[in-house]
Amino acid sequence: MKNSFDEKILDEAQDWINANQKVVLATVIQTWGSSPRQVGSRMIVNEKGDFSGSVSGGCVESAVVSECLSLIKDNKPCKKIEFKVSNESAWEVGLACGGEIAVYIEQIH
Amino acid sequence: MKIKTLEEILKKKSSKTEFAILTNLENGDSEIYLPGTTPKGEFSKYAGEIENFFKSKKNGVIENSEIFIETYIKPIKVIVVGAVHIAQYLVDFAKSLNFEISIIDPRGYFASEQRFPDIKVINKWPKEAFEEIETNSSTALIALTHDPKIDDPALQYALKNKFYYIGALGSKKTHENRCQRLSEAGFTNDQIGSIHGPIGIKLGGKSAPEIALSIIAQLVSQTYKK
Repeated sequence: MKNSFDEKILDEAQDWINANQKVVLATVIQTWGSSPRQVGSRMIVNEKGDFSGSVSGGCVESAVVSECLSLIKDNKPCKKIEFKVSNESAWEVGLACGGEIAVYIEQIH
Repeated sequence: MKIKTLEEILKKKSSKTEFAILTNLENGDSEIYLPGTTPKGEFSKYAGEIENFFKSKKNGVIENSEIFIETYIKPIKVIVVGAVHIAQYLVDFAKSLNFEISIIDPRGYFASEQRFPDIKVINKWPKEAFEEIETNSSTALIALTHDPKIDDPALQYALKNKFYYIGALGSKKTHENRCQRLSEAGFTNDQIGSIHGPIGIKLGGKSAPEIALSIIAQLVSQTYKK
């Protein structure tokens, strides 16, 4: 029972675009082991770094936001990012749950 | 993704058309795929795999490729009998879940559009109302009136048409009487036993939103067992 038709994130993406913001769409495309959000989970980021939606349970969102900002800055269309188990260092971005996820980010243009 | 593609996705979503989004992860190209059609351009090479993903309602990257597919499937149809207070909360909960609620209630003063904006409300007796709704074994029924005149015909219809979830509000005593009537109407013990009555998982709450929550929780759990 995927919640696709009620998902509001793409509607929000359009609102942001209509408000003349640059929008990057981030989508979970693969997961291995235990991961907080399923494949197809989405998040949007604008050029100011505002974001909505989620691709994990808060574990990697900040890293995804900075990757999205770089994508806008370098004016690249898309990029695939992989996140693995977080290491000992508490400040390292990663998934504390021991899972791995691949997130695809793309500009909506 | 192009803005044009995003607009098309939103249009398909609001018209509840089933579709999939195909993305080439290498170059960012994306296309909308409709079941029964041949995927466009370079995606056509993976037509078989795309069809399989769609049929099994799966999202993911096609093996040995850089093609990502995300399927958009229709919400589950839930028929609520009784446009009562609990139904208003069920509608609220269903908004953030993949359920599409229709309400049947022959009592005009309950089943008003004002009480249920944006919801299909059928102001008829269940027998006539079911002629207007397409149902199958992926449909759920929630009977809330605890009035045999209204609930019973709906429960009988749902049992005959093998709805995957059937629940009926009412106390243990009310439910015993209901089972008795269904038995007299010729339904088997297995059929009668498949009705969730008293409806909902035990949360302990008694208020309308709490009962609605317990019903929706049971419905979600049964949906994943389907």
